[in-house]
Amino acid sequence: MHESRPLSLATVRVLVSIGNGARYGFDIMDATGLASGTTYPILARLEHAGLIRGRWESPAAAQREKRPARRYYEISATGSKALARSIEHYRTLGGGFDTSAPRPAHD
Amino acid sequence: MTESSGDESLSPRQARTFRQVRTVVAAVSIIAPRDRRDDWRREWEAEIWHFLATNPPRARTTLRVLWRLLGAVPHAVWLRQLDWRTEMLLQDLSFALRNMIRRPAFAFLVTSTLGLGIGVNTAMFTVVNSVLIQPLPYKNAERLVYMYGSFSKFDRASISPPDFLDYRAANTVFEAFAAQRLAGSAAITGSGDAERVSATDVTANYFATLGVVPLRGRSFAPAEEENAASVAIISYGLWQRRFGGDAAILDKTLTIDGRPHRIIGVMPPVLDRTLAVDVWRPLQLHGPGMGVRRFHFLRAIGRLEPGVTLQQAQASMDVVAKRLEATYPENATWHLNMRPYRDVIVGSIGRALMFLLAAVGLVLLIACGNVASLLLARATTREGEIAIRTALGASRKRLVQQLVTESLMLAVAGGLAGLVLAMWLVHTLRAIGNGILPRLAEVDIDGTVLMFTMALSFVTGLLFGVAPALHAARDDLARSLASLGRSSGSRATVRARDLLVIAQVALSLMLLAGAGLLFRSLWNLQHVSPGFDARHVLASEVFLPEKRYTDRADQQQFWERLVADTRALPGVKSASLTSMLPLRGGGDTRFWIEGQDRTPERAQSAQINVVADDYFATMRIPIVRGRPLGREDRTGPNTLLISETMARRIFPRTDPIGQRLVVDFGKEPFIGEIVGVAGNVAAFGVDAVPPDVFYFSIHQPGGFGRGFMNLVVRTEGDPATAASPIRATLAAIDKDIPLAGVRTMEEIVGDSMSRQRFTTRLLIGFALAAGLLAVVGLYGVLAFVVGQRTRELGVRMALGASRRRVFTLVVARGMKIVCAGIALGLIGALLTTRLVTSLLFEVKANDPIVLASVSGALGFAALLACVLPARQATRVDPIRALRSEA
Repeated sequence: MHESRPLSLATVRVLVSIGNGARYGFDIMDATGLASGTTYPILARLEHAGLIRGRWESPAAAQREKRPARRYYEISATGSKALARSIEHYRTLGGGFDTSAPRPAHD
Repeated sequence: MTESSGDESLSPRQARTFRQVRTVVAAVSIIAPRDRRDDWRREWEAEIWHFLATNPPRARTTLRVLWRLLGAVPHAVWLRQLDWRTEMLLQDLSFALRNMIRRPAFAFLVTSTLGLGIGVNTAMFTVVNSVLIQPLPYKNAERLVYMYGSFSKFDRASISPPDFLDYRAANTVFEAFAAQRLAGSAAITGSGDAERVSATDVTANYFATLGVVPLRGRSFAPAEEENAASVAIISYGLWQRRFGGDAAILDKTLTIDGRPHRIIGVMPPVLDRTLAVDVWRPLQLHGPGMGVRRFHFLRAIGRLEPGVTLQQAQASMDVVAKRLEATYPENATWHLNMRPYRDVIVGSIGRALMFLLAAVGLVLLIACGNVASLLLARATTREGEIAIRTALGASRKRLVQQLVTESLMLAVAGGLAGLVLAMWLVHTLRAIGNGILPRLAEVDIDGTVLMFTMALSFVTGLLFGVAPALHAARDDLARSLASLGRSSGSRATVRARDLLVIAQVALSLMLLAGAGLLFRSLWNLQHVSPGFDARHVLASEVFLPEKRYTDRADQQQFWERLVADTRALPGVKSASLTSMLPLRGGGDTRFWIEGQDRTPERAQSAQINVVADDYFATMRIPIVRGRPLGREDRTGPNTLLISETMARRIFPRTDPIGQRLVVDFGKEPFIGEIVGVAGNVAAFGVDAVPPDVFYFSIHQPGGFGRGFMNLVVRTEGDPATAASPIRATLAAIDKDIPLAGVRTMEEIVGDSMSRQRFTTRLLIGFALAAGLLAVVGLYGVLAFVVGQRTRELGVRMALGASRRRVFTLVVARGMKIVCAGIALGLIGALLTTRLVTSLLFEVKANDPIVLASVSGALGFAALLACVLPARQATRVDPIRALRSEA
């Protein structure tokens, strides 16, 4: 990820949704309204760039509920900074950015 | 955690879905890099399990799962690419695909336009390539030469056996030099039904000269040629058809024209594809009837010595011809006419095919123009999108890559559509080109051609797809963004599209003009009277086996009985015989007017037609003067009829009736009195000048032993239904004689125009496709212009312009382009249609009616294309148009 260039709009949306509490891949899709083919490559890229971290939830908890364990994502400190910078960039371009309300999902 | 614990709280239906999904995920996981593969697979399984568990078990849920699952592929690719650190092709692909789905009309237009261009070109070039360009399937086929006899009046005549022997003796330019009799036909009897097949006699070295080795057995030995041994070689086709590919075919007996022949060889299938011959027999060059230098009935083939050119060979043999001329007076002006063997096989269709190829080339140009036009229009609407993406951090390289991907995707889709169309077209061409196109069995979709046309469409797509990206990336970002709300579109782009449409209209007008000319030619051809009434007439060929009908009385008796029995059939009005069926050509001989010196210089020539009673009535050939041949000519002095052109030529001032002609029939000349003049009948094609013909009665006492005649029957109803009773009649007389070549006269007339019909039909198809493309292109431009000028039109209407005024404005804008295109096209047509002159019949290449009507038709279609956008323009709401200004 280039420092000089702002994050893409979709990337910003993914980061915002994680910041707003969406943890799992499908939840992030629902929150951002982005398709899986967009969301997952962004997650892979963000994780690779160290802006987010992916972790496995505890297998014991999952087994208790008789379901497979899920992978969840968290924003890292670098991620928070990059997000703040990008949001600032889009503001200067004149676009409003709602960092609180998740968008309705559509498939 | 164990994977098997997964589906416990899913409904049975969802559990099944999950198991299927898991299979897919496992398969796709191969894409993910090894160290991340397990994580990747477990993450996707878990998400989908969770999704299934939290959604109702309905079909809709399954669909949503599948839709989400699509993202697994780019995800895995991305993980892999993070390893490779390469750029992002797949993302582009998926974006391009989504773009296509989002604008189905655009995608459809581009794909079908490209598909049409690629399809027709691939199909046409495939045919041209197989027929004209590919070498014949013989070893070093470029060294093969075909030789006609040639003299002052005709350069496609034949060669006499003594001449051939002299040429062969003096030959220094050919590695091998062989002769064949003009292909004829032979009756096959015995084992199975009596059948008429194409047959010829060849010298022993014939196959070696062609460079073809028998598939089974051997070719003729020199001794078999010398003794005219009763041996035969058969074609692969005959072997399969008649003998079911019998492995023990060699040494079997085949009865050919009543004589048993031993089969000594089977030729490979390649010969079936280029020569339509089923049976070969040895040609005895020293046999009976072979010693007359004046009787020309052979053709020669030669294989050039390496390094010798056709011109050198011709020059060398011309020296021999001069020497023969000096020795034998009957050889005056006779020499060999050498042609590349391939040209002879391909024949006259070559020119027509090249013309059609040029036509489809124009279609491709027009198609590319349309694609360019469509992409330009889209680029204009995407200027805003590109500006936004630049603002959001997309690099120029990234944008170009994206647009390239989109263009390529459209090109691939177009290419696939083109391939499907090409396969269908080649299939169709094979069906309608049967009997017109030589080497048809060799025609198959050609990979090179497909690649070429696809490459061309790729380049078009790239050029016009990427230009706007470069343009936009160069543009001032702020200005582009500022213009976002409004639809501007640069003037240069609009002008480029106008020019494209002008070119398209011009090109399609040229094609339509060509198609129109061919159509008129065909119409003219079909309305030329062939000199007889083809309706309700059935023709067929009857050959008498030489062995059993040796003397003339037997033959006469057979023919008399055949005509009498046929005429007695119900539904038959009349029946007769002719040795020279209309439109099938014939043979000629020399004659003198009685009283003239019988010197070769004074000799004239005319076609021989030996007919039975009632021939003129059966064919409804008018008798211009005198009377037809009939019963009264069976006794008494020799009589004959001549054709109208012949009467006019040889007796310009005197009455031909009562004049006497001396006709050269070999030994004894035939001296007869002209009793009538018959109307002209087309012999070599309805578009050819009718030849001079004299008619003789088969029943003439001085007359003619005939082993072959055409039976012509006029029926009351459909002539085709008469075939089987006639066949039964013939079998009742002699069961070993097959009724061959059964065709209605209307079919024979149709066959003689088949080449023209083939060419015309194809060109009309191509021209219509071109016209359609041009009109669609025009519509695209106008619709785009109206869209762009919404604001301006709104202002005009707000300021009081009537709807009618706005409508006229738009139509005028469109018709201006159309008129420019038509004017250019007319100039182009006048310059190029001269090339088609050789394909035309009784219509000039600059025929004003054709040019005016195609211009009118194209103009009218274009007008319709203008009306739609113009009507749309009149519906512009001034208030809304003005508000968008703010």
